[in-house]
Amino acid sequence: MDFGFTREQELLRKSVRDFAEAEIAPKALELDKKGEFESELVAKMGQLGLIGLTSSKEFGGSGMGHVARMIAVEELSRVYPSLGFFLQTGNLLMYAIDSFGTLEQKNKYLPALNKGAKTGAFAVTEPSGGSDPSTITTIAKTDGSGYVINGRKTYISHADVADVTGFLAKSGEGLTVFLVEKGTPGYEVTRREARLGLRSVPVNEFVLTDCRLPKENILGAEGKGIGLAITSISVMGRTGAAGVALGATEGAYEAALKFCKERILYGKSITNLQSIQFMLVDMNTEIEAAKWLYYRPGCLLDQGKNPREVSVDIARSKLYCVDMAIRNCTKAVQLMGAYGLSPEYHVERFLRDVLELLSAAGTQEVMRLTIGGTITR
Amino acid sequence: MNVAVCLKQVPHPDYLSKMVLDPVTKRLRREGIPLVINPVDRNAIETGIQLKEKFPGKVTVVTMGPPEAKEALEEALAMGADEAILLCDPGFAGADTYATAYALASALTKTGHYDLILCGNETIDSGTSQVGPQIAEFLDIPHVTNVKALDFNAEGLLLVEQSLENGYTKVKVRLPALLTVNKEINKPRIPSVIGIMEVAGKSLKKYGLAELNLSATEVGLSGSLTQTIEIIETEQKHDGGVLYGEPAQIAKTVGARLRELQLI
Repeated sequence: MDFGFTREQELLRKSVRDFAEAEIAPKALELDKKGEFESELVAKMGQLGLIGLTSSKEFGGSGMGHVARMIAVEELSRVYPSLGFFLQTGNLLMYAIDSFGTLEQKNKYLPALNKGAKTGAFAVTEPSGGSDPSTITTIAKTDGSGYVINGRKTYISHADVADVTGFLAKSGEGLTVFLVEKGTPGYEVTRREARLGLRSVPVNEFVLTDCRLPKENILGAEGKGIGLAITSISVMGRTGAAGVALGATEGAYEAALKFCKERILYGKSITNLQSIQFMLVDMNTEIEAAKWLYYRPGCLLDQGKNPREVSVDIARSKLYCVDMAIRNCTKAVQLMGAYGLSPEYHVERFLRDVLELLSAAGTQEVMRLTIGGTITR
Repeated sequence: MNVAVCLKQVPHPDYLSKMVLDPVTKRLRREGIPLVINPVDRNAIETGIQLKEKFPGKVTVVTMGPPEAKEALEEALAMGADEAILLCDPGFAGADTYATAYALASALTKTGHYDLILCGNETIDSGTSQVGPQIAEFLDIPHVTNVKALDFNAEGLLLVEQSLENGYTKVKVRLPALLTVNKEINKPRIPSVIGIMEVAGKSLKKYGLAELNLSATEVGLSGSLTQTIEIIETEQKHDGGVLYGEPAQIAKTVGARLRELQLI
């Protein structure tokens, strides 16, 4: 058993932290207020190699691994969770293409996605929900050489800015993942949702109206889309959501700790008050506990474990990290009194951001179902 | 062009104020304090890498320190330096600037030919600004301190701009030479993922007294011309205060107080 990071992973953490503190932290307040997708910062992340950490070297990634990607998500989220979340959703499509795509699809999409020159999204949820894929009504009908697709997808992160989006549709007896590019006739992003947190992540609805896609746009095998989607969402989406939650909590905890050290009550710092100190201790302990649950699945994946074997570890990680984040970001607000709700103290932003993770990449209840199905078997 | 960059691993700037004196040893307690590359040394590394990108050659980073100083060298390699040298031996311990410069100059002489040696202008933990110029004196080469820009003219002479309090001077320098640079010269790059992954394949050599053919009396505490007898902490006599409220009101209060104290 080895609890340490490699020297390479430690150097990566330092690089991401330096980048986040120098390039993002001074603008965090303004970025949250503006609420726009930060293409310039994403391009810089691409130049540093932060987007392609799990992608194959031959397609412009570095292949550094899952733990490396999870370090990047955690460190970016410690400063600005929206950008950590970008790695989660962006990586989700990249992982799907890298793992299930044809050589042509990999050559066509991965180099630009790895660089941050292009952006990807992945769509499952429809107005009727996202937890039960059997209710999907988006339908693809073959016309011989291709498919004509009709349907609507909702609450899709980054769809508005995505150059290519993977989406799940019914075709024949099964579900199939198709790739649609921005500008394809019949594909239209119709709405941006107003959101409480993760305000630099556009969350959109898109509509497919007689949208014709050639067979070459099928990702993976026809009718096998559900396995592809669940694996990609689990490996990238859920670990990513856990990482955003963990990083955001660390950001909130550090802000609260700094505030408490400087806040004077009865002539001394409030950290001398046991009630305050115990809250800080509980936050610190829960964060450290979350780290082990967070990194374990990444470590197993890097060891070559099949994603199916790791799905329960991933579900446990997402479940705990998100619950832990909401609990502790609330504590950070509480520790800072009225200041905790002022944007310039950042912790209210972290709390708003982590609330968005309750449903991201599967609700907390879906995580419980995944774990429960195994432990009660 | 072969460039050597001398760097130092120092306590993280955020922790400098938290370092305390050990009442028994009278030395600064460094346990638990994260260590980083001295901030302006990163500008020196960046200068070296930019020169390598313009002219063929390599960048060698050198430091003297405990085994942990290897981490600073690895970071410099991740930024883009080609090879690293760590001077690490109990015999180097306790060195003042003279003995430090002597050890570094010896290593530079024995490990290769360098056209240009770069150092940061000063360190955040001791701030003497002496080591760079002392290395140049030991190597008998010209040096310019506090450099904010550099270029080469048609004859291959190095043209540097040296910052002064109210301006700067332009200086022509013949190579080989040593420059100490300041923060104005560039914005140091953050190591990329590819840079980090290349570190494992780069050379990082460790030298002790034996490898450099140095005797214990030339370096470390024995080779030092000065010795710190004791560090005495001064008592902080002023009371700090925290102001709360609207930023504009706080600024007015601070201004009024500074005027009252006749500081402005």
